[in-house]
Amino acid sequence: MARLPASPTQRIDPSRPIRFRYWGGEAEGVAGDTVASALYAAGVRVFSRSLKYHRPRGLYGLDGESANTFVAIDGVPNEAAETTLLRPGMAIAAQNVRGSPERDLYGILDRFDGLMPAGFYYRLFHRPARLWPFFQERLRAMAGVGVLQPSGSRERPGRFERYLNAEVAVVGGGPAGMAAALAAAEGGGRVCLFERRLHLGGHLDWRTRLVDGQPLHRRATELAARVAACPNIRVFTHAPVTGVWGENLVTGFLICPEGGIAREYHYECRARSVVVASGCTERPLVFEHNDRPGVMPATTAWRLAASYGVLPGRRAVFAGGDDSSLEAAIELAGYGVEVAAVADARAEGHDPELVAAIGEAGIRFLPGWTAGAARGTNRVTGVELRRIDGGRAEELRCDLLLANAGLQSLIGPLSTLKAQLGYCTRTGMFQPTRLPERAFVAGSMLGLRDVAAIEASGRLAGLEAAAAAGWDAESQIREARDAVRNAPGPAAGCFLACAPGIGRGAKAFVDFDEDGSYKNVVESAQQGFDVPELAKRFGGFGLGPGQYHVPGQNLAMIMAALAGTPLDQLSGTTVRPPLVPPRLATLAGPGLAVHKETPLHDAQAALGAIFRNAGAWHRARYFSTDLSCREEIRNVRANVGVLDSSPLGKFRIYGPDAQKALQRVYVSDMSKTKPGRCKYSAMCNDTGNLMDDGVVVEIGPGDYYFTTSSARAGATVEWFRYHTRHDGWEYQLVNLTDTLGSLNLAGPNARKVLAKITDADLSNAAFPYMGYREIVVGDGVPVRCLRLGFVGELSYELHAPSSYCGYLWDLIMAAGAEFGIRPFGLEAQSCLRAEKGHVIIGTESEQRVTLTDIGMGFLWDSKDTASKKVGAPALRHASGQTDRLKLVGLRIDQAERRPEDGDIVIDGTEVVGYLCTTRMSETLGWQYGLALITDRHAPEGGTVQIYSNPRGTPSVTHGTVVAPHFYDPEGARLRA
Amino acid sequence: MTFMLTCPICGRRELHEFLCGGQERGPRPPQEGLSAEAHFRYAQFRSIPPAPQPEWWYHGQGCGVWFKATRNPATNREERPGG
Repeated sequence: MARLPASPTQRIDPSRPIRFRYWGGEAEGVAGDTVASALYAAGVRVFSRSLKYHRPRGLYGLDGESANTFVAIDGVPNEAAETTLLRPGMAIAAQNVRGSPERDLYGILDRFDGLMPAGFYYRLFHRPARLWPFFQERLRAMAGVGVLQPSGSRERPGRFERYLNAEVAVVGGGPAGMAAALAAAEGGGRVCLFERRLHLGGHLDWRTRLVDGQPLHRRATELAARVAACPNIRVFTHAPVTGVWGENLVTGFLICPEGGIAREYHYECRARSVVVASGCTERPLVFEHNDRPGVMPATTAWRLAASYGVLPGRRAVFAGGDDSSLEAAIELAGYGVEVAAVADARAEGHDPELVAAIGEAGIRFLPGWTAGAARGTNRVTGVELRRIDGGRAEELRCDLLLANAGLQSLIGPLSTLKAQLGYCTRTGMFQPTRLPERAFVAGSMLGLRDVAAIEASGRLAGLEAAAAAGWDAESQIREARDAVRNAPGPAAGCFLACAPGIGRGAKAFVDFDEDGSYKNVVESAQQGFDVPELAKRFGGFGLGPGQYHVPGQNLAMIMAALAGTPLDQLSGTTVRPPLVPPRLATLAGPGLAVHKETPLHDAQAALGAIFRNAGAWHRARYFSTDLSCREEIRNVRANVGVLDSSPLGKFRIYGPDAQKALQRVYVSDMSKTKPGRCKYSAMCNDTGNLMDDGVVVEIGPGDYYFTTSSARAGATVEWFRYHTRHDGWEYQLVNLTDTLGSLNLAGPNARKVLAKITDADLSNAAFPYMGYREIVVGDGVPVRCLRLGFVGELSYELHAPSSYCGYLWDLIMAAGAEFGIRPFGLEAQSCLRAEKGHVIIGTESEQRVTLTDIGMGFLWDSKDTASKKVGAPALRHASGQTDRLKLVGLRIDQAERRPEDGDIVIDGTEVVGYLCTTRMSETLGWQYGLALITDRHAPEGGTVQIYSNPRGTPSVTHGTVVAPHFYDPEGARLRA
Repeated sequence: MTFMLTCPICGRRELHEFLCGGQERGPRPPQEGLSAEAHFRYAQFRSIPPAPQPEWWYHGQGCGVWFKATRNPATNREERPGG
């Protein structure tokens, strides 16, 4: 279809055609088109089929008000055609269609609406219960919007996020929002202005009406230019706000232009004050068949002509309730649309200037009339106009029916802001009655229609917002108040709930997205769901993607009319975030894989390490493709291996009260620490669960060095300070985890390797098991050396400044070469320590078991009550209890299929516990398991059954309960 | 829901920088003769009156201090910030 002649309001460039595909065929739009405007220009009138009844649905709004215009683009479903810019080569398809949008096979469902009353999904086909899965499957196949293609694009559009700070945030870039931004910026503070459409200007953008001798669209351009020129206003267009939150956090998403940083990104703006100027939209008129393609708000047709140069139809009938419809009629007549009649639900109160202009244009004007029923199926072909009092009716032919029942305010941002809203009996709209701190409202959502009044209210709100953010603007505010007072006040609204004479079973839709009709509202009320918030959920009004836009105020007004509630007591539904639906990928954000690398990462990578995520770290788990790590394990047991244990938590605590703090959080008597000795202990929480274990070394008077498990390193400072927060103790706690790297040199030959690179005396007498020495290694690297035995062999933990760790690693590898040293990873370590019966917190412990249950009760100094040890009261309480889970060792019988970690332990049909860790051990020659089982089954020598069901074929294996120390139970090797 | 908190060291910051340590329930009770019920009442039980209440907060993404703030759960606002 050829576009209308160029005009100053147009937002397209007809000299730049854009080709795209629709429903298998080729079509053409122009630069500046949205998908919706291009499809409409190409003659598409039926855009989709409705959710329940498969009724044909066409273009309704141009701002994403309903799912009518949801399309699949390049295989991605549920894209809003009105807010997506046309791109070359797009493949566009209609949704919920069997056949074609115009001839839909399920269209017949429309005749069976009696089978689908309000809430039918919850009530019908459920008895007998076995029938429901059958019906559910079929109902779901017939209903719905787009279909997700699991094989489709895996593109992640949300690779960017933006966090903003401002003194004043303004929601809405119409005349009020722009005036507010300009006024707020006068104070010098930072202002952010968010507009959902592509351009600033709001409803002035397409209006040519002269005010003070200037067309309104030029006024919009002028304001937008001033905003753009203002250095402390940041403008975000095509950036819908999804919500305004506590203390004025504005969230939303920005749809980027082609070639932008992302397709769409999430933003958050923390503002001191916020101005909401989100404006108004036309309140849909509820009449018979008001969903037919060709029935739309007056603004939609007007904008199609003015902004996109598309002639929306040949012959239009208007049925409005606001002066904007009168203005639209005059404008559309000017664009070449034949206007058959302009009905207005209001009997009086029209703008006399517009009424005169309508008369001059020779248009029939019918005050006190409205639309009662639309004719036609795939296209509207005519309308039955009715008098409001129901007295008379008249049929008119048309292919465009522009209907509304006045305006409604877009209260979404106020709703999320938890402003109180009330129905205003003058403007006929929900309006704020109480606003939270530092939130202000301006513009047409206050019922203002006069452009000067709208700008004045915007200026006042902007100044007040800036003042609330700290700018002294008293005199300016006084002037602005006078300006508002002298401007025309709120205009009288339209109070029509729905067209006269409906409700006898005809389809008059309150909500398009969920096919919610007037009849369904009546049914909901009869079933007892008789207030809007209940009916919304039972009948499904406003649960679709358009949410509040279509059913919003109408649902409240119709339910009030049914119940006989006076208008001033009208209550609406809460508009919920996101106010405009963003992509899930946008909300998911960049999804950055953030992890830390140890100082030995590269050295290990060079040796073929396979890395896995472990908490905050990326750690070497294997050093070969043998995931059972046989060689790594054998080499530690028989020779010597080296492990990068850098993520180990490393801390220093010092000060006069440092020991008191240790006594509080550790279960042992920490006054018994000795210089040069590692004291092993554990931390519990208030319920006696094991939280952490490690060693503490006294390195000076009131000065201690201690280690924690890798997973707890991040929470240790918080833990110490929390449990001593009331005491006012004087101590300092320093996290050295990243400052110091750590290597664990383990195996019978460990001493020989270490002796080659240090002069320190490593003899058993000079440096015994559990000893701590500060030694010098190589060319003078200071190393804290801890002789521990987590893996069950002679071993030295070397803690050195991270920057020296690479040097230390090379030194050890060179010194160990003659013995055949090799690195080992986390998996080998886990097998080695499990053979030894050393627990890993969270693997062999959980919230149901205490320190005592896992056999570590010997660490607890139970006589100490003075230190108020964390966990002690719970340990005391649990010590006498029976029927608790206990940690045991299992010697598992040979079986064809070996039990795995997590398999359950059973006694007949009773579950008595589970396997925490189990491996086939080459060292032992049998499969061991560490299991948590009830104390009844815990005595050594008993047998238990292990139930495995990995791939749906169950098997049972037997095991014998043994002590959970399988390897070297006397610890001779540690002390060697 | 979101709000801001005033760290005594760093000033007003976004909620996501903090961890909540629960209601202020006073120092740990003396353990000599402490019944299990009294202990668990102290350690586990919370009441959330819809009125301003003192709470402990930890500035985990900042300076690492535990501090007391007064928050009203009914409005989710800090009362007397910094006071």
